Amino acid sequence: MDDIKILLVDDEEDFIRTLSERLDLRDLGSKTALNGEQALGYVGEKEPDVMVLDLKMPGIDGMEVLRRVRKIYPNIQVIIQTGHGNDLDEAEARRLGVFDYLKKPVDIEILVERIKAAHQAKKKLLDSSATAAAFAEAGEYETARDLLKR
Amino acid sequence: MKMYTATIPGSALKVRSRESYYARQKQLFVLLVILMAIIPLLFISWTSSHFYQKSWLDKTTVELTSLANSRREIIDLFLDNQENTLAGYAELYDFAWLSTPGNLEKIFKAMNHQGVIVDLGLIARDGSHRNYTGPFAENLKDKNYAEARWFAEVIENGRYISDVFTGYRGVPHFIVAVTDPSRSWVLRATINSELFNAMLASAEVGPGGDAFILNRQGELQTPSRLGLTALPAGEKSLLATGGGLTIHRSPEALYATTGMKNNAWTLVLKTDIATSLADFYRARQRDHLIIAGAALLILAVSTTLVRSMMNKVEGADQQRMLLYDRIRYSEKMALIGRMAANVAHEINNPLQIIGDQAGWLDELLNEEELDRLKNTDEYRAAFAKIKTQVKRASTITHRLLGFSRSTEGLKSAIDVNTLIEETVSFLEKEANNHRITIRRNLEQSLPKITTDSTQVQQVFLNILNNAFDAIGNDGSVTISTSLDNRQLSVEFADSGPGLPEEVLKKIFEPFFTTKKAGSGTGIGLAISYSIMERLGGSIEVRNGRQGGCVFRVNLPVAGR
Repeated sequence: MDDIKILLVDDEEDFIRTLSERLDLRDLGSKTALNGEQALGYVGEKEPDVMVLDLKMPGIDGMEVLRRVRKIYPNIQVIIQTGHGNDLDEAEARRLGVFDYLKKPVDIEILVERIKAAHQAKKKLLDSSATAAAFAEAGEYETARDLLKR
Repeated sequence: MKMYTATIPGSALKVRSRESYYARQKQLFVLLVILMAIIPLLFISWTSSHFYQKSWLDKTTVELTSLANSRREIIDLFLDNQENTLAGYAELYDFAWLSTPGNLEKIFKAMNHQGVIVDLGLIARDGSHRNYTGPFAENLKDKNYAEARWFAEVIENGRYISDVFTGYRGVPHFIVAVTDPSRSWVLRATINSELFNAMLASAEVGPGGDAFILNRQGELQTPSRLGLTALPAGEKSLLATGGGLTIHRSPEALYATTGMKNNAWTLVLKTDIATSLADFYRARQRDHLIIAGAALLILAVSTTLVRSMMNKVEGADQQRMLLYDRIRYSEKMALIGRMAANVAHEINNPLQIIGDQAGWLDELLNEEELDRLKNTDEYRAAFAKIKTQVKRASTITHRLLGFSRSTEGLKSAIDVNTLIEETVSFLEKEANNHRITIRRNLEQSLPKITTDSTQVQQVFLNILNNAFDAIGNDGSVTISTSLDNRQLSVEFADSGPGLPEEVLKKIFEPFFTTKKAGSGTGIGLAISYSIMERLGGSIEVRNGRQGGCVFRVNLPVAGR
């Protein structure tokens, strides 16, 4: 299995540490960030594949982190995992292009499955980008555009 | 049949005290209208009656006064005239000439052109009749007047007029007597007093009125029109006047009295007030009847008017109260909703951690040397239980979040009947297990409505689940749809035992449940209520006529 680079962002330290340990048990290495600033700093240093993000946090909140990440690092797949979100938050997150929106409490197996799915999605995206780039180089702009749209 | 959409505890009490308030207001208004209408009516009636009576009395007094004066003058003039004529003859002729038979008769004829003189007599100083002309010659021939009081008076004063008395033929008459300048003989005339009667009879004193003359002793000198033979005791005071014109008034009659014949006689004119005012009293009675009728009419009209007005006010007040109650109830529900959502949010994080910690421990267990652990199975069972309970708690918190759902749900045009069929299909298995029949009585020509189908379906599911719980085993639920011009209604009637009033009142309040602890959260119907509020519809509950509960969901129809 490919190494999936995971970033967990949540202000609940107990939660995030246990989650990290449990992912370890499933051969998924992860980094943790306890707030928005930390998360953005980490992303700047080393871009993760998948980001598991809480919405309600002190300082820069999850929605803002999501907004910036989607803008600067569109390849990072973001999974929202929150106990506070309402329908409006969910709609907003999906509009911003979140991979999935999960409501706490979330079973670990489900989360693992979604992380893997997100990683697959990212790979597919990169593949299609690469293919698109190849087509574009060959002058097949229409096909390249179609691939990116998919 | 009572419907509960929103009920505030104690509102029944309020309504009762309000009823008595409206009754009091009604009475007050009726009273005011009556007072305002009837008091002026009575006042006008009283003043006009009083004014009329007073002016009638004034007018009658004036008339009576002038009548009394004129009658007195006429009678005094007549008496003076008789006396003066007689005195003239006494001065003109001497005793010898008058004693000569036939001469007295000549004077009698000359005097009596009015035909009122009955006889004439010549009396000597010694009281003996010396000459006589008239119908009673035989009776008076030997009469001597020396001892008679009138004779003494005429000798003393020169003139005399007697009271009226009844003579030999029963004809009322009086005497006028004069003496010659030397006072040696007396000329005497008897005059028929019926002339007075005629004079008084022509006095207009009205029905029940009277006109007569009294002497000093109160004896009638002329017949009373009313047939009195003597003055009644109550009228004796009329004599106690100075002789000038006086007006007396008793409750029954108005009197005008005046002295005449040098105050020897009193002329009395009497008008009976009651009889004269009879027409007026009749008119007043008719007025009273009209006023009473008008008062009754006012009473009836004002009562009806006030009643209908107050009923309108009461109706409007009730509408407003109901609206107010609804608003308060939905505010309360919204507040509870926000609270519940916040609590749910806050609980979700610890729930996540509890679940994760338990899961992790479970996983860590795998790394232990399981042979050395005595209670491995118990640990695993305990972790599984924690997981189950976390899941259960999170079901509750996620349902609670239903309260704070945004209003901007996904709205689409839906067919309610189809939605019902779909909802029923979810529950068909459970219905079969409990031998519950679901009947449909669906109006086929329903318009599509634009609403959030997921949320409406959630409401239907909640109601059906409740119905199933109420029924237990063996029974039925009848789902009917109907349309009136403003809304589309879906009714769910179950064959359960129905609900007591207290439960009906509280059924939409969150955490109110009749199910035993642990088997229901008591938020299903509360969420249904808030969903229907958000969707612009409503939800109502009542007990059905044939028992069981009837839930009614009203959905707004767009464009109607």
